[in-house]
Amino acid sequence: MAVFRMIFLVCMLGLSGLSLMAQQYVGKRLESLSAEVSPEMMAIEELAASASWEPRTEIVPNLGISNDVKWLRLKLDPRTENGLLIEVQNSGIDELTCFMVCDGEVIASYQRGVFSDTPIESTIGTYPSFPIPLVECGEMQAVFRLKSAKPLLIPMRIAGPREVLRAAHERDVLFAAYFGVILVMLLYNLFLFASVGDRSYLEYSIYILMVGGTQLVLNGYGPFFGVDEYPWLNIRLIQFFGVFSGLTTIVFAQNFLRLSRFVPWLHKLLNFYFALYLVAFVLAIFGQLVWSYNVINFCALAIFFFIPGAIITMRQGYAPAKYFLLAFSVFIAAVMVFVLKDTGLIPYNAWTFFALPLGSAFEVILLSLALASRINQLKREGAKAKEEQLRISQINEKMVREQNSVLEERVKNRTVDLEEINQTMQGTLHELQSAQQQLIQSEKLASIGQLTAGIAHELNNPINFVSSSAQSLRRDFEDLNAVVEAIKTLPADHPELSKRVADVHALLGQLDIDFTQQEIEELLNGIEDGANRTSEIVRGLRIFSRMDGDNFIQADINELMNSTLVVLRSNLRSQAQVRAELAENLPEISCQPGRLNQVFMNIITNAAQATEATGLSLEEREVLVITSMHETIGQTWIEVRIRDNGIGMDEAVKLQIFDPFFTTKQVGEGTGLGLSIVMGILRDHNAEVDVQSEAGQGTEFIIRFPL
Amino acid sequence: MINVLYLDDESHNLTAFRAAFRRDFQVHVTTEPTEAVRIIREQPIEVIISDQKMPSLSGVEFFELIMPDFPDPIRMLLTGHADIDAVIDAINKGQIYKYISKPWNEAELKALVTEASALFHQRKAMAQEGQQLLSKMDEARLLARRIQTISESGNPLAQDATQEVSNLAKRIDRLLQT
Repeated sequence: MAVFRMIFLVCMLGLSGLSLMAQQYVGKRLESLSAEVSPEMMAIEELAASASWEPRTEIVPNLGISNDVKWLRLKLDPRTENGLLIEVQNSGIDELTCFMVCDGEVIASYQRGVFSDTPIESTIGTYPSFPIPLVECGEMQAVFRLKSAKPLLIPMRIAGPREVLRAAHERDVLFAAYFGVILVMLLYNLFLFASVGDRSYLEYSIYILMVGGTQLVLNGYGPFFGVDEYPWLNIRLIQFFGVFSGLTTIVFAQNFLRLSRFVPWLHKLLNFYFALYLVAFVLAIFGQLVWSYNVINFCALAIFFFIPGAIITMRQGYAPAKYFLLAFSVFIAAVMVFVLKDTGLIPYNAWTFFALPLGSAFEVILLSLALASRINQLKREGAKAKEEQLRISQINEKMVREQNSVLEERVKNRTVDLEEINQTMQGTLHELQSAQQQLIQSEKLASIGQLTAGIAHELNNPINFVSSSAQSLRRDFEDLNAVVEAIKTLPADHPELSKRVADVHALLGQLDIDFTQQEIEELLNGIEDGANRTSEIVRGLRIFSRMDGDNFIQADINELMNSTLVVLRSNLRSQAQVRAELAENLPEISCQPGRLNQVFMNIITNAAQATEATGLSLEEREVLVITSMHETIGQTWIEVRIRDNGIGMDEAVKLQIFDPFFTTKQVGEGTGLGLSIVMGILRDHNAEVDVQSEAGQGTEFIIRFPL
Repeated sequence: MINVLYLDDESHNLTAFRAAFRRDFQVHVTTEPTEAVRIIREQPIEVIISDQKMPSLSGVEFFELIMPDFPDPIRMLLTGHADIDAVIDAINKGQIYKYISKPWNEAELKALVTEASALFHQRKAMAQEGQQLLSKMDEARLLARRIQTISESGNPLAQDATQEVSNLAKRIDRLLQT
């Protein structure tokens, strides 16, 4: 800050030494026309001589802003002032004509102002100046005709050409310095924008450009840039610069102070100014320059909002707002000085005149610093945010680590629990398996028990008649032996042969040997048949009872079926007519014969029982067993059908028959395991089971063994 | 000779039975229950042996069937295995004399048939005796009535004697009635 103070002081000192500082204005010598005069109707001479002039009281008269033509008269002292220049230090007057009246006669007239096409060479500096003719006059007056859409401030002085030239040079130097500052700041910020890429630098550059441009135009340097070549643009230039500098100022302030975040209501309010500036712009386009200027002036008041905006933002801990506040305070102070000077409340002099560019220059510099601070602040915030992020991520990481270890612990505990549960389950599974094994075993035993009774009877019959026949045969042979012995005792040439033969015949008759011989035949048949049947039963039993182990071996389905039927015969005989249609030459399949016998026995027994329940006579009850071989493309299978004309099943029963413990029998009569075991066995054989049944019609089991 | 009927669905059993017992009994065999009924009707059958387990009907059922018409022949049941239900049935419903299991013991069976036959004849004799006794009793009853009538319409002189006769007749009647 010390540096700026020093710069400021140097500037002050420098300015004090300038001739500008000692200028005297002639405002109090000026007279303006009273309102009732219609000057356009009169000749200048007449006007000059008119009695309607009223003296002005201000050092720098302010004629206000209007579209009307204003008139001013300055009485000159022909003796001391001829040869000097009348200088109007306002380069913004649109139309300015000066008539030199000497003793009631116009001896010279000069046209100046923005609208005139006075060549730049014929003026000194940027201010219009009028030479007082070197003529002898008793009374000399200068009459000014003025018209402007801008405030008609008339800082007028009379000075020699050298003095005017010197002041102009001094002014040019000062403005050159000002524009230099502006240019440096502009280039600096553009460079920063190009290197840093922060958008606010570009906004600020445009803002600087606009502020500088406005000052340029305001102080009459427009023609130096050739804008007077375009009259349409030229007369609107002040308004255009006003609009655009105002807009950029607001945009810059909004973004710089981050009003949308810190002071949203102000942000919205400032947005409203965009619309006003648009109105001013449109008015300027359509030539309503006075109105446009007024609107722009009103809009300019928006900068007063910046102060509270900056304070609020600053209070919220946004440090760059300090610089902003300072910059705009300086600027506003300068504007205040400038405006107050115009109203005459403070003296119009070089100090007050230069307050605005000076304030503007300081503002620009301070804002540039503010911007740097803002960028730093943003960087700091970014770094802080990053640091915060890092800290949070570290905390997170720590938490994750902690949670991980907690989780690991939990997982470990769970795993231990699970292992325990698993072991318990394994034990339960084992128990269940053994229970199942026991159930299957008991089902097997139950069916074996059921069978034993039938088989016992089946065996007892042949054993009965074989043993009985053997005894009878022995007796029959005893009879025959008696006859044979009788015949043996016959001597070949016995004289009593015929009598002995008669005895033998008597014996034959007595013993009924014919019958005995026939009986022997029958008994032998019986014994043979009994032996066959016994061995068949024993063989069937042996095949049937191959329940030893679950080895898969090659076996003939027909043989298994036959053995099952043999074993079941005595049980089935009183239940139904069982017929078997077994296909010849069935190939052997890999199977567990003992378990398949259990399957067939179960299904056939069920079938026979189902027919019993119908109430049909024994001859009408039928169980048909069919085996066959089938072949389609790429598939060969052996089909076993077991069909009965029993009571059948409804759909609900059919769906459950393979469920363990499902039974339609009375409690104690069936375990309900038969068909579920059947299903398990067939699944082990990859066999398909199809059950077709209709209540009252019968049931058919179709089993397909793939080859 | 004892008339024995043997019913069994297994014809070899019939052959064996006949061969075993034809020398001792008059043996009738058949596999058909209807044929068996015909034989009972036509022959003086004393003992009926039936197999229990037959396809059309069981031995107990067969006995139950013939009981109303032919209660006299002694019934014996032959079965391949000890079936407690069949035994209970046989005793309760079929009033079976003996229960024989296969394979039979020839001597034992022979003794049983002989016993059964004896029982048959004993029963028959007892029935006859009873019959005779009944007719005798009827006769006695008639006599007692006559005595009673006479005594009640008799001479008053001989009142004491007739009183005694009447008392006797009453006693006879009382005896017969028990």
